[in-house]
Amino acid sequence: MNPNFTHLPSSFRDPAGFLFVEDDVLLRSVNFSYKENYDRLMHSGLYDKLVEENLLIAHNELDDRTKKTHDAYKLIQPEIVPFISYPFEWCFSQLKDAALATLNIQKQALGFNMILKDASAYNIQFYKGKPILIDTLSFAVYKDNQPWVAYRQFCQHFLAPLALMTFCDIRLSQLLKIYMDGIPLDLVSHLLPKKTWLRITLLFHIHMHAKAQKKFEKKLSLPKDPRVNKHSLIALIDHLESAIKDLKWQPIGTEWAEYYEDNNYTSAAIDHKKQLVEIYLKESNPQTVWDFGANTGVFSRIAAGKGAKTIAFDVDPAAVEKNYRQVLEQNECCLLPLCLDLTNPSPAIGWAHEERLALIERGPADTTLALALIHHLAISNNVPFEKIAEFLSLTSRFLIIEFIPKSDSQVERLLCTREDIFSKYSQNEFESSFQYYFSIIRRQKIIGTQRTLYLMEKRNAS
Amino acid sequence: MAQEKVGVTMCKRRLFHILGSALAIQLAITPNAFAYLDPGAGSYVIQVLIASIIGGLVSIKIFWQKIKKFFSDFLSK
Repeated sequence: MNPNFTHLPSSFRDPAGFLFVEDDVLLRSVNFSYKENYDRLMHSGLYDKLVEENLLIAHNELDDRTKKTHDAYKLIQPEIVPFISYPFEWCFSQLKDAALATLNIQKQALGFNMILKDASAYNIQFYKGKPILIDTLSFAVYKDNQPWVAYRQFCQHFLAPLALMTFCDIRLSQLLKIYMDGIPLDLVSHLLPKKTWLRITLLFHIHMHAKAQKKFEKKLSLPKDPRVNKHSLIALIDHLESAIKDLKWQPIGTEWAEYYEDNNYTSAAIDHKKQLVEIYLKESNPQTVWDFGANTGVFSRIAAGKGAKTIAFDVDPAAVEKNYRQVLEQNECCLLPLCLDLTNPSPAIGWAHEERLALIERGPADTTLALALIHHLAISNNVPFEKIAEFLSLTSRFLIIEFIPKSDSQVERLLCTREDIFSKYSQNEFESSFQYYFSIIRRQKIIGTQRTLYLMEKRNAS
Repeated sequence: MAQEKVGVTMCKRRLFHILGSALAIQLAITPNAFAYLDPGAGSYVIQVLIASIIGGLVSIKIFWQKIKKFFSDFLSK
């Protein structure tokens, strides 16, 4: 066995095939049991149509490799998605667009007499700014009158969290972190306000669906031959589509939604900071950038504008939502906004803690931006400089970081309601803590402010 | 004693009923081998119900639109 062969830990549920990495190349083995479905996908025209519309990840077939198992029919090499993100990291519109993409793919598949055999949100990734299906083995030959086997999964992965985000609280998308196969419908039904019983789409697909699940949990009397003809199935998919489209959320009223209208920067200061970030990015020349505390992506866009694949992380769902809407309006292909609480970043979850990777396992990036951030970590969250430096040294080789002193009005604001126990919060302490992990390459004051922008490089990186 | 015998017989009948129904479910909801997901018994039932309601309403809507078109074409001649 090649020591450079690794079966992906998340790829084990579907007997149709599996993903593995060999010699740093991602490959998918397609089993003989899936042959009929795979051949129909490839020869019916469905694959070509979906790839052309950027709804399905393209792949190459490999004929000349040694297959890994005796039941392998084909080996395929899919295009690589640069950064894998998870549904609990998506903002409202990202989850909504992923849901609509899934239903669009399903409807197109039915046009070629195929159907999606699963509807997991983890089958969708964001590629060049838009949602795309990455599981090529999701398709199956459609058999007349057969109900949709993935209906439950669609409702739990997509409709349920979107309904909760719309009618309860935007932060409830985090339930997707706890419930890996989507949010249980009885919980959703319980949490949603009573007025949602008057909305036909939610009445059917959440409330009645939850009741039916409970009723048939233990009872064993069922219709002998459940049938859904194609016309009714398409009507059902359309109904789900209108259910999703009717769910709307406006990104206002959260803590950081209006940050760029309410901060202490003059326009000259912002311009100078942008110039410095640009210079530091040019010097570090990254292919990939992680921007922590990116808000609406003002500085992330400097990196993305240079062609760096940039992830703009922020804890505020409204800021990420605004950022994503701008990505769509401007058709940006190098920027991916995501929700992240840096004090509690995405953990490894799933079977044996291996199915979905922790944030740090999906890195490192080439350069990290940590602008207007350090005071939130060190003061609001009591994280010592050494621990911040240690974490940031794991995320990338280069670091562009802004130090905000206690005399800055934003720090004064943080300290005004609490006792100042931060005797070590000073520029000297900051530099000495970070210099344990990084060497300081550049240091420059931002004009019109008391802040300093640094370019650092991880020690022993080269 | 007689009551206990009746009780045991009823238990056996219930057990056979359960096993028989489990088999019926297995036969009724026979997913293809490729479909590794558990669709959920309740989800299948509600899907059949909802799809038939919505499908029926869509059919009525299409039929009604055809009727309207027929009369509007007829009256415009």
